[in-house]
Amino acid sequence: MKYLQFYLLGALIVAAGCDVLNQDPQTAIAEEDAIRNEKSAEAALNGLYGQLQSGDYYGDNILIVSDIASDISQSVGTWDFYREIDTYNTVPGNLENRNLWSEAYATVNHANNIISQVPELENVSQESKDQIIGEAYFIRALAYFDLTRTYGGVTGVAGTMGVPIVTEPSRAIGENSYPSRSSIEESYTQVENDLKEAQSRLSGFSNPNWASEAAAKALRSRLYLYTKDYDLVEQYATDVIENYSFSLVEDFQDIFYNENTSEAIFELAFNTTDPSSIRSWYFPSSRGGRGDIALHTDFVEKVNSRPQDERGDLIDFDGNIGVYYPSKYQKTGADDNIQILRLAEMYLNRAEARVRKQPVDLSGALSDLNEIRNRAGLQDTAGTGVDTAEEILRAIELERGIEFFEEGHRWYNLVRTGRAQTVLNSVDRKNSEPVSLDNAGRLVFPIPSRDIDANENLQQNEAYR
Amino acid sequence: MMDKHIFTPCSGTLTRQDNRTTDSKNGWAIICFTFLIFILSASISIAQVTVTGTVTSANNGNTLPGVNVLEKGTSNGASTDGNGKYELEVSGPDAVLVFSYIGFLSKEVPVQGQETLDVKLKEEVEKLDEVVVIGYGEQTRETLTSSVSSVNAEDIQNTPSAGADQLIQGQAAGVQVSSNSGMPGGGISINIRGTNSISGGSAPLYVVDGVPIETGNFGLGTGGAQTSAIADLDPSNIKSIEVLKDASATAIYGARASNGVVLITTKRGSNSKPTIQFSTYYGINEAVNTPDLVSGPQFEMLMNEAAANNGEQTPYSNPEGTINTNWADKVFRTGTVRSHDLTFSGGNEFIKYSISGSNFDQDGVIRPTNFKRNNARVNLDLEATDNLSFGTSITYSNSSRNRVRNNDNITGVLGGVYFYPTNLPVYQQDNSYTKFSIFENPVAAVEEVDFDMSVNRLIGNVFGEYEFTPGLTFRTSWSYDYNQVSEERYNNTFTNEGSAVNGSALATTALSNNWTVENTLNYLFNVDKHNFSVLLGTSIQESTFERTTANGQQFPSNDFRRIEDAAVQTSSSTGTSSGIASFFGRLKYDFDGKYLLTVNVRRDGSSRFGEQNQWGTFPSVALGWVASEESFFNVDWMSNLKLRASYGVTGNQSGIANFQALGLWGGESYTENPGTSPQQLANPNLKWETTNQLDLGLDISLFNDRLSVIYDYYYKKTDNLLLAVPVPMSTGFEELVQNYGELENEGMELSISGDVIKQQDLNWNLKFNISGNRNKILELASPFNVYNRDIYRYQEGYPMYSFYLHKQLGVDSQTGEPIFEDVDNNGTFNPNVDRKIVGNANPDFFGGITNRLNYKNIDLSVFFQYSYGGDQLNWNRFFQEHGGTRNTGFMSSQLDRWQEPGDQTMVPKMTSDNYASNLRPSRFLEDGSYMRLKKLTVGYSLPDDFLGELGIANLRFYVTGQNLLTFTNYDGLDPEVTATATTSLTKGIEFYTQPQARSVIGGFDITF
Repeated sequence: MKYLQFYLLGALIVAAGCDVLNQDPQTAIAEEDAIRNEKSAEAALNGLYGQLQSGDYYGDNILIVSDIASDISQSVGTWDFYREIDTYNTVPGNLENRNLWSEAYATVNHANNIISQVPELENVSQESKDQIIGEAYFIRALAYFDLTRTYGGVTGVAGTMGVPIVTEPSRAIGENSYPSRSSIEESYTQVENDLKEAQSRLSGFSNPNWASEAAAKALRSRLYLYTKDYDLVEQYATDVIENYSFSLVEDFQDIFYNENTSEAIFELAFNTTDPSSIRSWYFPSSRGGRGDIALHTDFVEKVNSRPQDERGDLIDFDGNIGVYYPSKYQKTGADDNIQILRLAEMYLNRAEARVRKQPVDLSGALSDLNEIRNRAGLQDTAGTGVDTAEEILRAIELERGIEFFEEGHRWYNLVRTGRAQTVLNSVDRKNSEPVSLDNAGRLVFPIPSRDIDANENLQQNEAYR
Repeated sequence: MMDKHIFTPCSGTLTRQDNRTTDSKNGWAIICFTFLIFILSASISIAQVTVTGTVTSANNGNTLPGVNVLEKGTSNGASTDGNGKYELEVSGPDAVLVFSYIGFLSKEVPVQGQETLDVKLKEEVEKLDEVVVIGYGEQTRETLTSSVSSVNAEDIQNTPSAGADQLIQGQAAGVQVSSNSGMPGGGISINIRGTNSISGGSAPLYVVDGVPIETGNFGLGTGGAQTSAIADLDPSNIKSIEVLKDASATAIYGARASNGVVLITTKRGSNSKPTIQFSTYYGINEAVNTPDLVSGPQFEMLMNEAAANNGEQTPYSNPEGTINTNWADKVFRTGTVRSHDLTFSGGNEFIKYSISGSNFDQDGVIRPTNFKRNNARVNLDLEATDNLSFGTSITYSNSSRNRVRNNDNITGVLGGVYFYPTNLPVYQQDNSYTKFSIFENPVAAVEEVDFDMSVNRLIGNVFGEYEFTPGLTFRTSWSYDYNQVSEERYNNTFTNEGSAVNGSALATTALSNNWTVENTLNYLFNVDKHNFSVLLGTSIQESTFERTTANGQQFPSNDFRRIEDAAVQTSSSTGTSSGIASFFGRLKYDFDGKYLLTVNVRRDGSSRFGEQNQWGTFPSVALGWVASEESFFNVDWMSNLKLRASYGVTGNQSGIANFQALGLWGGESYTENPGTSPQQLANPNLKWETTNQLDLGLDISLFNDRLSVIYDYYYKKTDNLLLAVPVPMSTGFEELVQNYGELENEGMELSISGDVIKQQDLNWNLKFNISGNRNKILELASPFNVYNRDIYRYQEGYPMYSFYLHKQLGVDSQTGEPIFEDVDNNGTFNPNVDRKIVGNANPDFFGGITNRLNYKNIDLSVFFQYSYGGDQLNWNRFFQEHGGTRNTGFMSSQLDRWQEPGDQTMVPKMTSDNYASNLRPSRFLEDGSYMRLKKLTVGYSLPDDFLGELGIANLRFYVTGQNLLTFTNYDGLDPEVTATATTSLTKGIEFYTQPQARSVIGGFDITF
């Protein structure tokens, strides 16, 4: 036993050795513990809104993509992923295109976790469960809606296929991880069903920063424009306009300079510690931005040709580069909220539906249109040559363009109405010849090449093969 | 007979793990070991006779410094000075003196009443007693069965280096060292025998005096500008660096060994009189190259031409009259570098010490980059009893960096230099900085940003050894690597970042703690001519990391820089940890020094691995045959011939994050509402990558060891690659880290070292090494692209770092349109699909050539480094050869554009179509081959007789030039740098990367 102390030391060290293998993460928790009671379910729900906040999605990307692909904004900086989209050269490897797809599906998966797990929780009231699950359904609907209209298309107008529908949370990679594309109709039906689920669990409206029954109805009014169910568009728009206490704010700019106004139906909140980055894309360096995205001069001239239009006040000029840029997003702390659904859209949705439905209701349409014009400081359309159905539709299109510039509406509306190739022809831009959307296949965006590589069941949109 | 102690005066190291038993002619070692004198006390000893003399080499007559002279049967001794002279008072005229010196046969000489005794020692020619440090031990090179490159004291001494990595560059075959940038204290990348991992990086395991240390980047990312934790080491403290390359050498480090292992040994004290060494140098440095941009008038002329070509109005009315700002001149500078180093060393039988302090200060070539390092080191060895000894190796360093944003960063200083049009003034009329798009005004970027980093690093090791019986020793070693990195960054309101928020500040502190406990049992024994050495050991390591970060915005004015005064303050903290537990063993066996066998095995458990695979085993075996020891071997001119073969398995776990195997949710808040979100998918099967390596080697020494050749062939196959395998994003995740895929590396290495001239006054030593490696991806889940604009592609059958571009065949000399290869041969070029792999960054071969000449007191060393056949992507050109599609600056290469029919050029006519945003033309991919005069040193040592009078043992003055000449066809700033240290997936790209410095340094070393 001469060397007893050494043996003891040795044994001790070996024992200590096994201990170092037991390490636990300090900034994350195991997925099986993520949703286990009411508090953690609420945290998961908050995180779901956090997904929407991503700069790849509603933080800025989807708004920029829609407007830059249309005739509202142009790329004048170095970020050539937006320049590709701006000039209709988008390749399947385009980073921002990929980011949008990826973040929308991350949102779907996050919602799937809540939708599948929260019902199983014990000691949580049905009321709380309904609230959490209902909001998750709404956000999943929004994600599938964006995916479908971006990558799938609109039946009979653009695209030929819908998007993969995934409704179960991903816990491992298996056979179910390689879905193929559904049809466009199936994709929009998924959106509708999710909105119905949301609507059945949520009631009323209290705060625009959170999904609500009103938000679900508002999104349905938009959805049915894509599926051409115009009676339903009108029905849900009317429901939102009449049955909640929304009202158009008096000063247009208050929608952006204030927050959570009486007009906001679903407004994504940001604050200084959780800021949005959208402002920096538009602001020139003299205002602390990167100045990558500017307005098309032709668009600005269109707005400026109506001097009374207050919405033109939200456009500034950068003398350094010689371009116009929007100042809808201008808060010092970069805490500009993002408008996803607001009341003005309900009027314009209803106006459009009233023209397109059978029987038509042109006077009703004009009355809705004028609500929006009047608020912006403009007179009624009477006497301006907006009389026929076709003229009213053009007027609605123009009004939507000016009302929602840099809010991500323009591209989708032009594609949906079949007007994209007509309007997006010879769009003048800085630093190059005018560009045109010649190829109808490019009315939908490419499935990211990375997923085409990773999932052989996924078929690329025709124009990008 | 059995001899456990081999004393090597040069290194002062006690070797107890050598597997060779020594025969009686090495008996000097025992005598040395009992030698006992502390020279300071020598003056009071009672002595009757004083003997003096000079010790020289019997072979070439050179004097030998540091020879041990001992009075036989006593502990009375001395050693020769720098001139080979000694002086010793002996007990009487009948005394016998024993002279011993490493690499020479020891000699006993009776005094016989003489007062002067000059001695010639014979070289021990048949033995190459080069001691090589290996994992958990040392051994002589002659019995080494594995592939180990050594950078020895002689390669390190006499030439100043800013960092330890520079000591390896070009010196070790098969080891490719490249700087990530010329930023002082910046990142480096070392590839040992190619890159064996896609996600796991290529960084080898670094072990300093037995302590596995942290080596990564702990600084804030600023694009690709990285800092290196290796920079904390003072290169002047380093005695030797060994690079373990084959599996037999590395498998003892198990799951962390497949990228090779770098063993760094610092200087220790020896059994000799106290010496004081002081070294200092001072120098200046400037960039090897500065950006080549068009002038202001040229810029306007080009923009006008582009507009005219596009059918638009020309924007500039008077290009000739415009201003011309040379942005590069505003930020590049000539800086200084200086170093001071003071070392005390010495010892006696009981205690040996080496204590040093140093100070290093280097300016970067871009204002205001700077790196300062203060370093203190204490290495002690204590003999407590005959059986028990203790020791420490403790290094503390405190360094500070002044940083700027650069590298792979368009908003950094160099980004500004390239992007700002040269027709803009630095300042506006109101004296404010000219602003331009997202880019920082280069002058503002250097003047208005504070960006400081300070590091406190302690690497400490204490060890104890106990000898149970002769040959059987137990060693316990306790090590700690502590790294505290604090950074402060402040952008005032003149900068883009600061202007939007009234000043922006960030402060962060990162703490890394890393402790290791290792216990080994070593047993040396022999049965007749069968020699055995057995090693058994355990190792436990635990690492923790934490970071605290605070941000402040909205400052009252630019006079306030601390977050305390900011109106908006936010903060955050994070942490992580990991652990490894291991058991290992090694058997070394040889028969009569002829037939050699080494068997290693290590079993590693890692907290990172999935629960299904927590433990892994890594074995290796090596065989050697020293043919020249055979009795039938009868070649006079060949003094050594050894054949080696090894095969083994090693692992790599660095490709996985600490908790990669788990399915996790992390924090994701919605404004003030805390929330969670899915972070990663679980993979309980996750484990290390496995590299199987075969090595065949040949060691030859010719002409009395004047010429030695080491040749190795290797084949490495890595499977179970840790790969972030892309999964369909419709799952909600982008990737799943899996063990999937295979790659191989195959290569050859040749090192030749020769004494071309070996005369009394003139010596010329030439070292040459050349290595070639072929890397190939054998299997992937699916091809994938990396880096911005997908310019690298990973695909089966191609090497890593393959560039994926549109192959530009030329420019139509009639229309000026670029002609690209129609890869799918369908008649039209379609940018969506007609992209291909057009080259890769891997060199065909690379290496170094070192010449060392000594003529009397003058020494000259000339070191060239070269790399041939690698492609380098000049990505600056992608942005600065934009053909007018952006408003930003042009590089001069744009001037070569097509202008009129008949023009022969690769640069197309400037129209928006020819420079469309979806084009990735291959004309930016250039030949990155180069040969560089890395170091040229001329030194002069003052004559000993002159110094002797002053009590100085050695005094040498020298002048060194670094990066003096570069031969290359590459048009960028520096073919040797790569921009993107942030990811191991890219290499060979210059993207606003700070070039290296060319410096001229003068200094002296003095020893008392």
